[in-house]
Amino acid sequence: MRLLALVVLSVALMVVDARLEVLKPVRSQLGLVLSPFYWLAEVPVRLWERTTEQFTSRSTLMAENEKLQAEVLLMQRRLQKLAALTEQNVRLRELLNSSALVDDEVLAAELIGVDPNPYTHRILIDKGEKDGVFLGQPVLDARGLMGQVVEVMPYTARVLLLTDSTHSIPVQVNRNGLRAVASGTGNPERLELRHVADTADIKEGDLLVSSGLGQRFPSGYPVATVKEVIHDSGQPFAIVRAVPTAALNRSRYLLLVFTDRRTPEQRANDSAIAAEEAGESAPAPLKPNRGTAAPDAANGANTPTEAPAAAPAAPAPAAPAEGARQ
Amino acid sequence: MIGSRPNNGWAIWLTFALGLLLSVAPMPAFMEIGRPLWLALFISYWTLYLPHRVGMGSAWLLGVAADVLYGTLLGQNALVLTLVAFLILLLQQRLRMFPMWQQSLVLLVVLGLSQLVQLWLNVLSGSPPPPTLPFLLPVLVSALLWPWMFVALRSLRLRLQVN
Repeated sequence: MRLLALVVLSVALMVVDARLEVLKPVRSQLGLVLSPFYWLAEVPVRLWERTTEQFTSRSTLMAENEKLQAEVLLMQRRLQKLAALTEQNVRLRELLNSSALVDDEVLAAELIGVDPNPYTHRILIDKGEKDGVFLGQPVLDARGLMGQVVEVMPYTARVLLLTDSTHSIPVQVNRNGLRAVASGTGNPERLELRHVADTADIKEGDLLVSSGLGQRFPSGYPVATVKEVIHDSGQPFAIVRAVPTAALNRSRYLLLVFTDRRTPEQRANDSAIAAEEAGESAPAPLKPNRGTAAPDAANGANTPTEAPAAAPAAPAPAAPAEGARQ
Repeated sequence: MIGSRPNNGWAIWLTFALGLLLSVAPMPAFMEIGRPLWLALFISYWTLYLPHRVGMGSAWLLGVAADVLYGTLLGQNALVLTLVAFLILLLQQRLRMFPMWQQSLVLLVVLGLSQLVQLWLNVLSGSPPPPTLPFLLPVLVSALLWPWMFVALRSLRLRLQVN
């Protein structure tokens, strides 16, 4: 009798959890209580790392320091170029009437646990709802896209990695813009491109970047490099295997990306409001001017050709708030 | 013995907490597919020797905790652990008389059943089916681990007079 009651209860819970959103808050609160288990389980690893850190020799540290300095120099050289390129890109985009953002805000997070189930690729990170993490948020590491947030708890979040067999991401070949969908295989070193025509121009060594078409991942981040392309005449499509660029099973520090999730219309509206406020605060004595400035901004919001020009101004007021997260 | 005053019940819950900890502890990748079913083992021991304190109810609660911890559907591990507790309770009278290796054998079957239910629920909830035979490897590891678990938990139970 008790077995029956408990089984029915479990099944009911499963169905409700799978189909409805009712249990999400319960789950997130329970997660708050239980996620210290992950932290506790990692304690020995942490302690070991700390002790090895303590006892690394001076020469090792100096060598590492030298290497890092050389790296910084290299990066700075690249950055100098990048600043000019970014400016150019913004100007060109303005010319093209495209309002895509060039830079995204990020938040650094640390990995605190790995899913114990070896058949799923999920990790736990130390940032949660309280840090502004949201469902579906893209996660990067230093080398490329890692995955997306699938469960948010108050102080932690669960991330589904690209290579999980239930995950797919829209990509394009960096060389020629060919679009494809990269699906996880359950192997941490492999992605597969689905439905790529046998004649498609894709070859070994091609870099795949996110295309942003799924509206979930920002476009232009490296996802994987093509490892092999197999043309099998018995198969309707080419078999394309790729290796993720991110160190999915090694990275300890990750970046959470806050992209601009507003629609173009919202963006135009916001920029119009921002322009209105700027016009309001700057020329304080010229009160009659306010009446003329507002309709102008409103026009800008209504006519699509005007909107993008105003759009690059939109992220500016938002930037301090996002920057504060870092 | 049955009906006597509860004594040192916290020890039971402490072992459950330990079980939760062990089941998420980081392990090398090649050992991960053979991770013992810690929670099922702890539940089996306590339902076998203290059936009046630990039963399907506690198993269910522990299962819900595991679900939250693993991020599986709420109720999945709860169902599986309830099933384990039920089977152990069903066999309890005989199982207590068995020598150790026979207990291990019975546990192999019980945990194997539970793991198959787990596999079935996994596939039902949408994840692609993992290879079935390696999926049963934790069962074998758990059954081999049972004698050691048994000795450790019995000494804990006798020392603390857990009842």
